[in-house]
Amino acid sequence: MRKRLLAAAVAALMAVAGCGGSDEASDPNTLKLWHFEGPDSAMGVAWAEAIKQFEASHPGVKVEFEEKGFEQIQKTAPMVLNSKDAPDILLYNKGNATTGLLSKQGLLTDISDEVTKRGWDKKLGPGIDTTAKYDDRGVMGSGKWYGIPNYGEYVMVYYNKTMFDQQGLAAPKTLDELTAAMAKFAAAGITPLAVGGAEYPAHQIWYQLALTKADRGWVDRFQRYTGDVDFHDNTWVFGAETFAKWLREGYISKDSAGVKAEDMGLAFMQGKNPIMISGSWWFGRVQAQVKDFEWATVPWPGMTSGSSGNLWVVPKGSKNKQHAYDFIEITMSPEIQDKLRDAGGIPVAPSATPPTDPKVKQLNDDFQALVDADRLAFYPDWPAPGFYDAQVSSVQKVITGQIGAHEALTEMADYYKENTASVGK
Amino acid sequence: MSLVPTSIRDRGSYLLFLIPGGLLLLAVILVPLGMNIGISFTEWSGAGEPEWIGLDNYTRLMGDGTFWASFRHNVGLVVAMAVLPTLAGLVIAAALFDFIGKHFGSKHASVLRAAVYLPQVLPIAVAGIVWSWILAPQDGALNEVLRAVGLDSLAQNWLGDPDLALWSVMGVMLWIQVGYPVVIFMAGMQRVDPSLHEAAELDGASWWGRFFHVTVPQIRPEIFVVLLTCTIAALKVFAPIYVLTRGGPGGSTNVPSYYSFQNFFEKTQVGYGAAIATVLTVLILVLTTVFLRVQNRGER
Amino acid sequence: MRRHAVLWSMIVLALVMLVPFFIVALNAVKTPDEYSTGGPLDLPSGISLDGIIAFWERVDFGEKLLNSVVISGSVAVLAVVVSVFNAYALGIGRVKGRLWILVVFLIANTLPQEALVYPLYFLANEVGLYDTKLAVIIIFTVIQAAFGTYLLTSTLGGFPRELLEAARIDGANKWQTLVRIVVPISRPTLGVLFVFFFIWTWNEFFLPLVLLISNENQTVPVALGVLQGQRMMDATMTSASALLGVIPAIVFFLIFQRALTRGITAGAVK
Repeated sequence: MRKRLLAAAVAALMAVAGCGGSDEASDPNTLKLWHFEGPDSAMGVAWAEAIKQFEASHPGVKVEFEEKGFEQIQKTAPMVLNSKDAPDILLYNKGNATTGLLSKQGLLTDISDEVTKRGWDKKLGPGIDTTAKYDDRGVMGSGKWYGIPNYGEYVMVYYNKTMFDQQGLAAPKTLDELTAAMAKFAAAGITPLAVGGAEYPAHQIWYQLALTKADRGWVDRFQRYTGDVDFHDNTWVFGAETFAKWLREGYISKDSAGVKAEDMGLAFMQGKNPIMISGSWWFGRVQAQVKDFEWATVPWPGMTSGSSGNLWVVPKGSKNKQHAYDFIEITMSPEIQDKLRDAGGIPVAPSATPPTDPKVKQLNDDFQALVDADRLAFYPDWPAPGFYDAQVSSVQKVITGQIGAHEALTEMADYYKENTASVGK
Repeated sequence: MSLVPTSIRDRGSYLLFLIPGGLLLLAVILVPLGMNIGISFTEWSGAGEPEWIGLDNYTRLMGDGTFWASFRHNVGLVVAMAVLPTLAGLVIAAALFDFIGKHFGSKHASVLRAAVYLPQVLPIAVAGIVWSWILAPQDGALNEVLRAVGLDSLAQNWLGDPDLALWSVMGVMLWIQVGYPVVIFMAGMQRVDPSLHEAAELDGASWWGRFFHVTVPQIRPEIFVVLLTCTIAALKVFAPIYVLTRGGPGGSTNVPSYYSFQNFFEKTQVGYGAAIATVLTVLILVLTTVFLRVQNRGER
Repeated sequence: MRRHAVLWSMIVLALVMLVPFFIVALNAVKTPDEYSTGGPLDLPSGISLDGIIAFWERVDFGEKLLNSVVISGSVAVLAVVVSVFNAYALGIGRVKGRLWILVVFLIANTLPQEALVYPLYFLANEVGLYDTKLAVIIIFTVIQAAFGTYLLTSTLGGFPRELLEAARIDGANKWQTLVRIVVPISRPTLGVLFVFFFIWTWNEFFLPLVLLISNENQTVPVALGVLQGQRMMDATMTSASALLGVIPAIVFFLIFQRALTRGITAGAVK
């Protein structure tokens, strides 16, 4: 009896397992769409609306939307795009090591014709379109169009206005003002900067400090391999030494080496540290969740980490490319772009009507100013695959005092040299 | 005990029972292993045509300091994931089985065993998040508790200090791992003939005496199983490192498996990653073989 | 009293082991605002089930639960069967070169999973099993059975020979001996294996992440990954999802842990 039950159970399990496979055939009346933004994020809200509009303007076509994990798309994109299960359109990370690599491997559709036909290139400003174009080495900034970004992002200074007022401090608009403010907090026994050394925040600050002395040519050499990169030039050295000084003066806590980005954000939002130098991706959350104090943002003085957001890309194996282009068209419409902005995002092509919320308005105005002045410098880990881990590790060692700032530069230089040697092969 | 005389023909028919397992193994493990070794002789980014480069990846490996350092960290993890859980597991299992089970009822023993085993059930991604909250330097639970009882000097930057991070990871691994030997050993203790204990008790042996002279020798097969499987698990440990420290700070908790993962998926140097994985596999296999021979000899 | 000292020290140990679970539960019932202002360790002012409900609906958790049960259940059953066959030949049949055969089987356990990803993807794609539950079931059956083979071979090595002898005299063939004598007597160990296989497979993350691409095929731990954004983590919802993910495994363990205690008689066979 028991044996029979067991056999029946196994048979049933196998039946469920077997028939649950992927047997959906390609259907001209669907658009298989993947992205990894949460439903409450600015992008998630705007895209949900875009899907609705798409289905309204394409009667009979159904959007098969699947929300994916970021990790899953990152790790498996080349495999998925090589199989028959590829979606018709998906959101993918921008940059050489991601979209650039896929384009080089021939897994993405060259959408240059659509871009000119539909005028998307005119909507994207300079610096924003850099991440949408890749040459045949997979290096961004020139060549063919492989994706379209809907939004932008950049690193800025968030500060706790209530705490600044208590110390009699004004908005830290220049590096000197920022340093002076931090000195005052440190003297009062408050660690001024929230930093997460276990993830991206620490090495972004490291890069930000170098960027205060950088220009477009310097950034292009580092990010787009347009010339030799010297990690011991004045720009890098200024950044590294300033970082070391901040550490020495206690502006950055030695404890921050093991802190994750999430906990950095929490520390700022709980009012433990008055300043956080990080990206616009925190904006919506800080706005929604900080209730106990006044806060504000100022742009970073000089060039700053930032770029377009992630890209809509059309896989080579997409079965409904026209639908995919139509969808991108909708996401670039002023209506969807405004929706994205009102939800706390930074659209790339908003309508002329300004946003009502003053903080959102400032966020967007600051971004526009950065674009107009061509001050977006991408992110420090982009130039080489795996550079992220290497930089986290080097900067962590500086924070814990295992190595000095100059040695960290040497480590980064070695990694950069070794791992960019194969670019374009 | 008398051994059943078995003829050659007889043994042959036992081989039939190995066919399903053997075929599955071939398709899912042996062929992929061969392919992985093949990839390790190439330079490949994960898509497109791999380029044959012979032994280059291996020569590079020999001079790669990160690779060798990652093996040293593995030794600590073998202690935390195999040696200590086995020792602690033996004592806990015996205490639960002999004391709690016999004097307070097997219900109590079951509940306590379940509590000790539960960390094995928690998805490792979640365990990573929770432990980084507990071990956080400024307001983590552990430091708060230490400060509350006046031991401020013991409050540490558990995951952020390069000298401490490996120890902290070892502590978390012990927490995760210890339930597994407890369950196995308790199952094994049920096999033990109670009359052996009774006889020892009549001889006036203390609890520890019976523990060492009856329990431990009787569940020897289980001890070997636990030691070997935990050692293997420790050598290829990946997920806990990924969620707790990502090999940091400054590479002080990097392990071979994570290093190969980095090469596979972050640096897209699939060939080099495959070489690391191959070396790791060979090393574990050699260890396993030695271990099994020792075990085999012990059984004879 | 010494007995009570042991009891109390065990209770303390158990509580310490449970602290992290308590923290998960604590954050699962917080609102995101409470988490942001108070941090992960503050007590919430009330119980909010919003995170749990929101996560359930966002990932269609019922479907993921069914997928995980199907995959883990199939793997647990099949891997126990395969392990019994293998161990019967190696532990009782004592076939020639069994040590080496065992080593070969153990490769499944020793090979780091990262090394398997590209080849398995390639093979699964070739035979049309990419993005199917069946592929994951087959793969984990082999991986878990390696452990089962080893454990069972070890314990069956000490199987009472008189019983086999008696069965042979009764005219039982090898198959009958296996089904009527060896399996019933080994049931406690098989129960342990079944529980382990189910739980280990339940928590597997990496291979399912790579091989189960469609949302309709995903398992609970993979669905959990949806919450880990590029630079953001929704900690309250992650805790809520963790609670949801861990409860079925705990329930399963509690139900089947009776299987672990039942077989005391097995040792009484003389």
